[in-house]
Amino acid sequence: MNAWMGTILRVDLAAKTVKKEPLSMQDAHDYVGARGLGTKYFCDEVDPKVDPLSPDNKLIFMTGPLTGTAAGCAGRYEVVAKAPLTGTIGAANSGGHFGPELKFAGYDGIIFENASETPVYLYINDDAVELRDATGLWGKTVYETTDALQESLGNFKISCIGPTGERLCLYAAVMNEKHRAAGRGGLGAVMGSKKLKAIAVRGTGSVTVARPEKFMEAVVDARAKLKAHPVTGTGLGALGTEVLVNIVNESGALPLRNWRDGSVFDQADTASGETLAKTYLVKKKGCYGCPIACGRVTNVPDGPFKSFGEGPEYEAGWSYGADCGVTDLAAIVRANHLCNEYGMDPITLGSTIACAMELADMGVLPESDVGFKLRFGDAQAIVDLTEAVGKNEGFGKELAKGSYRLAEKYGHPELSMSVKKQEMPAYDGRAVQGMALEYATSNRGGCHVRGYLTSPEILGIPLKTDPLVTEGKAALLKLFQDLTSFVDATGTCLFTTFGIGLPEIAAEYREAVGTDETDEEILLKGERIWNLEKRFNIAAGVEKDTLPPRLLREKLPSGPAKGKVAELYTMLEEYYALRGWDKEGVPTPDKLTQLGI
Amino acid sequence: MKVRFFATYRDITHVAELEMPAPESVRGLLLALCERFGPALQKEILSPDLSALGQNAIVLVDGRHITHLNGIDTPLSEANTVAIFPLMAGG
Repeated sequence: MNAWMGTILRVDLAAKTVKKEPLSMQDAHDYVGARGLGTKYFCDEVDPKVDPLSPDNKLIFMTGPLTGTAAGCAGRYEVVAKAPLTGTIGAANSGGHFGPELKFAGYDGIIFENASETPVYLYINDDAVELRDATGLWGKTVYETTDALQESLGNFKISCIGPTGERLCLYAAVMNEKHRAAGRGGLGAVMGSKKLKAIAVRGTGSVTVARPEKFMEAVVDARAKLKAHPVTGTGLGALGTEVLVNIVNESGALPLRNWRDGSVFDQADTASGETLAKTYLVKKKGCYGCPIACGRVTNVPDGPFKSFGEGPEYEAGWSYGADCGVTDLAAIVRANHLCNEYGMDPITLGSTIACAMELADMGVLPESDVGFKLRFGDAQAIVDLTEAVGKNEGFGKELAKGSYRLAEKYGHPELSMSVKKQEMPAYDGRAVQGMALEYATSNRGGCHVRGYLTSPEILGIPLKTDPLVTEGKAALLKLFQDLTSFVDATGTCLFTTFGIGLPEIAAEYREAVGTDETDEEILLKGERIWNLEKRFNIAAGVEKDTLPPRLLREKLPSGPAKGKVAELYTMLEEYYALRGWDKEGVPTPDKLTQLGI
Repeated sequence: MKVRFFATYRDITHVAELEMPAPESVRGLLLALCERFGPALQKEILSPDLSALGQNAIVLVDGRHITHLNGIDTPLSEANTVAIFPLMAGG
């Protein structure tokens, strides 16, 4: 077996059984791994109408063929289930070392079925695999759970949920190694619904590849290019993802106060990567096999927001920062650390607090419901409310449902800045038109990493395209979405694509698995994954592709995109046509047949 | 006019923002900045023959990338704000 380990663990949490079954090599060929292969298994086995928090939803952890190899940044694994926040296919990936360790133990992935009646964790020590009692871990935070398991087991890699996952918070994350998150869509709640607290894995094997010499040639070439590129070689490691704050703000695309007050923030630099580097950054940190090291170890040494942990990333810094009108970086860092500790998606939680701030500002969210006067710019509030969700206290219980359900309760669902009930991150689609199309068409709701057109539109990588125009964006987005689907499926970090592209990653894939497929044939696998996800969403009855009314109707008041709205519908029809879908955005039978779905 | 520096360029200029009389174009501005901050900045923001923008530099005039304006010949006025970044990414 090359690149893939050839074995899947199937765990029945109700029957308390663990079976080892051979990996479907046809599916591995067609859907590669991680996001693709996990979704294929999921779609074959689960009714799209399933209640995401019922025992009939399955939870799949899947690595990619490059995970755990020498390929650059190949430390990713994907968690797949029907997402409780959105009702869409849920697929969230994470880095660190958990994914490679699972492969070193001999497994490509794990399929969890049904639900346990009592808390359990899955113990994997090479060939020894068993469910163990986790009653003593239930209620513990991510940090406490990780420490407790490592204290009792030794040097195992831990993926787990915090108390918010146990309580079915709709944006609970699956966390590994304390600070890395499969963060979006609420897959931690699916794990909690199954009473599965954690997976502890230790592996002593290795991953073999089909053509070792050619594989290493491809790896050396890719790594050299990553090292030489100004972003992946120096910039991203030096200042982390928070470096984006200023360029996105200068481009007029940093949404301010729940996207209400435009997208130019005159105090943006207070929470930028440059400021973080001068204040609370302790050191940078990389995942398995990563030469980039964008991770931030951060410490607020004293004061009311004293805290030690990792992050924030750019999007979390924005959700708690500009989106809440907050300029206190210590509070933003603290809130992000709390999200890691309790196991929550900071994009959704920060955005939900921002939505609550607007509802309070309008007078429709009573002070008595919150427990204090909530207002934009309140640094203490973002920390206190994050802790309230983590501890399931007071108004935190309402915030735990996400912004859509909160805004709907108070009569203003239009103020949830979400797509398919998942909050959009930190790039205003009115100022970055391609991102508007990206948010609307993302198969997991509002999300930036399904086709990151900010890269060509704002950053000029790998080409420069005007963010204010719509022409050409549909074709570019299709390409980015298909490429991203493939890259995710390999188990490689998407950030490699700032420095290398399809030729380099496809070369690593070819030599690892032993195929002579062309780049075009390999890209087609990405398109197949995208269409499979879309087909699931259609069958699940997910709402149509659109955007919050604010983006479609309210013109930006200032900045380089002054007067602009998101011109979604001038791009959407072309996008559907390029995808070979009908005018309602449904993949046609011919397209599905062509892709072998 | 205002000129703002970001990311690793601040390590060279040691200022985040300055005000100066507006040169005729972005080209004139970049040459003036190279004069002021020396070869460390010059090799970042201009091509070796000084004829073009450095390939790893991003220059925005009032938030618009000069590629989408008139390139290095984009005219400037006292009302403009120019933001200068190294190539960067994240997300």
